[in-house]
Amino acid sequence: MGTMGLALPWEARITSAPRERGTRVEPFQHFSGGTSPAAREATNEDATLAAACQSGDLRAYERLYVLHGARMKNLARNLLGSPVDAEDAVQETFLKIQRSVASFRGQSSFVTWTYRILINTCYDARRSRLRKKEIANDDSGEDPRPEPRAPGAHPSLRMALERALAALTRHQRDVFLLYEVEGFRHAQIAGMLEITETASKNTLFQAKKNLRQMLEPPRSSGAEAR
Amino acid sequence: MTCNDRERIFEDGTPAEWAALEAHAAGCPVCAEELRAWRLLSIAAQELRDYSESPALWTRIERVLAVETAAKPQLAERRRWFTFLPGIPLGWQTALAGALVLVLTISAGWIYLRRPVREGGTDKSLLKSAALKEVETAQAAYVQAIDKLAAEAKPELENSSTPLLANYHEKLLVLDSAIADLREQAGTNPSNAQLRYQLLAMYQEKQRTLEEVLEAKQQ
Repeated sequence: MGTMGLALPWEARITSAPRERGTRVEPFQHFSGGTSPAAREATNEDATLAAACQSGDLRAYERLYVLHGARMKNLARNLLGSPVDAEDAVQETFLKIQRSVASFRGQSSFVTWTYRILINTCYDARRSRLRKKEIANDDSGEDPRPEPRAPGAHPSLRMALERALAALTRHQRDVFLLYEVEGFRHAQIAGMLEITETASKNTLFQAKKNLRQMLEPPRSSGAEAR
Repeated sequence: MTCNDRERIFEDGTPAEWAALEAHAAGCPVCAEELRAWRLLSIAAQELRDYSESPALWTRIERVLAVETAAKPQLAERRRWFTFLPGIPLGWQTALAGALVLVLTISAGWIYLRRPVREGGTDKSLLKSAALKEVETAQAAYVQAIDKLAAEAKPELENSSTPLLANYHEKLLVLDSAIADLREQAGTNPSNAQLRYQLLAMYQEKQRTLEEVLEAKQQ
């Protein structure tokens, strides 16, 4: 895979802050899983939330929104490339949750189930948008250029990353966004994308390899010598 | 730990293996660079994190959910008719559905076998092609004869000098309209003998009316 003109001199773009192990930055502590008291509490909250939503309590949906609305919108924004479409997708997801919550049987966590609906909703929206584009004879490509958003610390890096992500396969993009951006564990991602945990790990590895190849400046051939 | 273990650890390394890789990277510039670049991807991913508030979004969602909640009782009322088997296990429901299909199949077969067989095997109200041709030929000749009669009565009707002739004129217009309707129906369904009888009755009425007009002319 080539660098697609996205090559970035890493050290010039990013402050290489010292980091612990090979892990990502966790954005949320909720539903992080595990056997700690916090994780147990999160599991209980998940079950309580599911039961309250099943009883039709609108406050439970508000709680779900307070806990996950921002993350859901961010994920949708990264999948759809537009904040407006992302908000529509989140709204549609809540409606779908309300319509089908009675069929939730607890095979996965309620939140995992919620994100699975969100991801499917985003891909439905993408397909629908593509169909509309085809009808309008607009052949500007499958992935729209993301709309501008609040400036971050490295806007050029973000743009390059967004373009590189668009070049990944759907599964690679989903797993990278869910793991590296949203901070989910592989077990949760497996539940959301209906794949195995091993497949999630392997897909992330392939995604990062591809991203590295696309974002990294070309190296001299002798650099790989062990 | 060797450089060859690096990618496997990147994919699915345990914390202990990551620690070993770090220790190895301290003395291996290639692995150190790979490790650094790998981690930078995770840092770069933070650039895609924007958890800013959307104040109006929850209000929008809440409104939609409330509308859906309000619509639910109506929907439930409609669905109530289909939920008369809630306590029966799925296996029994399947068996019941199978039995119902079986009963319906047997009933349909019984009705088919016991259906009354008509004399001649066909419905008499439908004309067969040979008879139909005969009817159409006779009808054409009849229509032609009535048209001759109508042509004879036409001057009298157009200059209706008496209220009686005016009445006859109106009656003939109504009859012509009815005949046109019946002919149209007979055109789409030519084998329907009932339509042919009605059409014949209309022609006969027209014939009688025209005869009366001609009699009135002679008087």
